[in-house]
Amino acid sequence: MAMHFIFSDTAVLLFDFWSVHSPAGMALSVLVVLLLAVLYEGIKVGKAKLLHQVLVNLPTSISQQAIAETDGESAGSDSSPVSRTHHRWYLYHFGQSLIHVIQVVIGYFIMLAVMSYNTWIFLGVVLGSAVGYYLAYPLLSMA
Amino acid sequence: MDHSHHMEMSYTDPNSTMPPSHHHPTTSASHSHGGGDSNMMMMMMPMTFYFGFENVQLLFSGLVINTAGEMAGAFVAVFLLAMFYEGLKIARESLLRKSQVSIRYNSMPVPGPNGTILMETHKTVGQQMLSFPHLLQTVLHIIQVVISYFLMLIFMTYNGYLCIAVAAGAGTGYFLFSWKKAVVVDITEHCH
Repeated sequence: MAMHFIFSDTAVLLFDFWSVHSPAGMALSVLVVLLLAVLYEGIKVGKAKLLHQVLVNLPTSISQQAIAETDGESAGSDSSPVSRTHHRWYLYHFGQSLIHVIQVVIGYFIMLAVMSYNTWIFLGVVLGSAVGYYLAYPLLSMA
Repeated sequence: MDHSHHMEMSYTDPNSTMPPSHHHPTTSASHSHGGGDSNMMMMMMPMTFYFGFENVQLLFSGLVINTAGEMAGAFVAVFLLAMFYEGLKIARESLLRKSQVSIRYNSMPVPGPNGTILMETHKTVGQQMLSFPHLLQTVLHIIQVVISYFLMLIFMTYNGYLCIAVAAGAGTGYFLFSWKKAVVVDITEHCH
């Protein structure tokens, strides 16, 4: 494996079938890697926004349950709505965990693509991260 | 078609595993010289994903996986390492929140909309530099950095089973540990 950056039109990225051997193929691969980096930045923002939405939508029931636990009272009166919202909370959290797995995997894929030491691919990743950050992070501060 | 050459890697020359990027013909020649003995350190690294458990080098020179049983053990170990990494991240965050000692308020006048002067207040929380919580945070930070690099290197083996173990461990760790974090954040940040 070459251990320095090279400009080249040939590369094998991640999978056996993804072998590039022409300028057009390299341009397409750079585009794919760019979109992958954009997606990665978008997922980061999406996860934060989802968590914020969940906390806004389900605070009262969980707070009630926590208060009931700390006061030592049995939550007999609000058992069914708490269990229903608990169920919703578990679904939300399971969805968040799946998004986290996808984020981890995409991050590692981008790392492995850069590890090919192909300069075009590396520039595609950098540009994709920049575009993704530029597009996604303003959405974070929007309510 | 291309998965067979990873089985060949343990027996014959590593030349066949070289990806079809022919920009360094001289290195391929030198690898063919070095590929004579099968126990050398500088094995040709796979550059695409594969599923296999023959002769998989894992991080350290003594750790070589050769059987399915060893691969299963390595899968469990990597899974637990990724879970521990996620838990360490959450634990550091909660430790940091608990050890905030100094809260400083800085107020400064800023010009308002109609020529009025408004007071803008900045709140900063921090730790003492030589306090035990900060030293503990530093030690945990180093452990976190090292484990994150180990996970990256494990993913870099391109072994499908180990990569799945990393991803699944990260997901499970996030699921188990971040649930507690989200509930704690909810309680402490909404005053009621």
